[in-house]
Amino acid sequence: MTSDADVALRVRALESLLLEKGLVEAPAIDEIIDLFENRLGPQNGAKVIARAWTDPEFKARLLANATDAIVEMGYEAVQGEDMVVVENTPRIHNLVVCTLCSCFPWATLGLPPVWYKSAPYRARAASDPRGVLAEFGTAIADDAEVRVWDSNAELRYMVLPERPAGSEGMSEEDLLALVTRDSMIGVSHAVTP
Amino acid sequence: MKITREVVQGLYKQTGTARVDTDVAASFQVGDTIQARNINPTGHTRLPRYIRGKKGSIATDNGVFKFADSLAHGAGTQPQHLYSVRFTAQEIWGGEAPAQDSLYIDLWDDYLEPA
Amino acid sequence: MNGIHDMGGVHGYGPIIREDNEPVFHHDWEGKALALARVGLAGGHFNLDEFRHAMERIAPVDYLAISYYERWLEGTLMMLDQKGVISREEFQARLTELSGEGS
Repeated sequence: MTSDADVALRVRALESLLLEKGLVEAPAIDEIIDLFENRLGPQNGAKVIARAWTDPEFKARLLANATDAIVEMGYEAVQGEDMVVVENTPRIHNLVVCTLCSCFPWATLGLPPVWYKSAPYRARAASDPRGVLAEFGTAIADDAEVRVWDSNAELRYMVLPERPAGSEGMSEEDLLALVTRDSMIGVSHAVTP
Repeated sequence: MKITREVVQGLYKQTGTARVDTDVAASFQVGDTIQARNINPTGHTRLPRYIRGKKGSIATDNGVFKFADSLAHGAGTQPQHLYSVRFTAQEIWGGEAPAQDSLYIDLWDDYLEPA
Repeated sequence: MNGIHDMGGVHGYGPIIREDNEPVFHHDWEGKALALARVGLAGGHFNLDEFRHAMERIAPVDYLAISYYERWLEGTLMMLDQKGVISREEFQARLTELSGEGS
């Protein structure tokens, strides 16, 4: 394995050549990093989910045409152009993976965590989703249907987790804290208050 | 093209969808039983090995999309229908998989044949 | 291609390693590697499918050994070489020049 200093140097070499050739200017590089580090992330997806939990009409729009419903909330970005939201219920548990690479809904969840892109998850989520869920400590009824979504092509998937018991009186804003990134990938349930 | 800060800001508001308006006939309808073709291209494909040769059913027609397999090799957009196809876990992984579990994957028309 | 990247159903990779409160990038170079790949894509030097295929062509042993954003870096270098934007030789020369500076 290459050391981080070696890779950092390779990146610097490429950067210097692209700058020198006039193919990019430095502030553009900073702008891209800022977008991914600060503006895209699961905080966006959580707002979509909390609204779906509290606004039945929005939820219906979200499940019928996720792309439009998410854009309506202002999350229009790269890797969010064609979205599908699938709903978890006591009978159906959805789980998202990309076995070939790392497809992920950047506009609502940001860049994927390391484990999502790692060989163990990509290898087993498709063939042994119940084993993966157990590893995440996520209990699923034996007779429920587990649906894996292998999102290799052009659509990006996000899970609408079940609204947890005990959250009935909570406001949309308070519900945000219950919606984790992992619950929108489907490896976990939302947090029980 | 020089990538400036302004270009970046513009790019991320635009949509970079592979969806196209081209009118292309769909070879399959929702509910049809299909079989994923057993192909082994040496180039880029979004048809994973574990799906090849398996039988499933068309769950959703997502519409017409540019074809990643051809775009990766300068062979044009070859727009075609992209379906969400449902396979049972038992069809893919055998009889020990839970009978009620399933896997959905988006597959282009070229990957499929009637079962 | 029947490559190392096609991982669905493969056995033997062990447990899924997770990190609490994981940062978006673990090193500054990771964000930069991602940004430079996006520059290549946005500049029209290569498309996303070509880029993905470049990463799939990383030798299997290397694919597993290097980290995710190293794959992005190597994929970008492969594409820029293939498209005649930055040759391997030009990149190597710059690398040598920069390593000289640091020592």
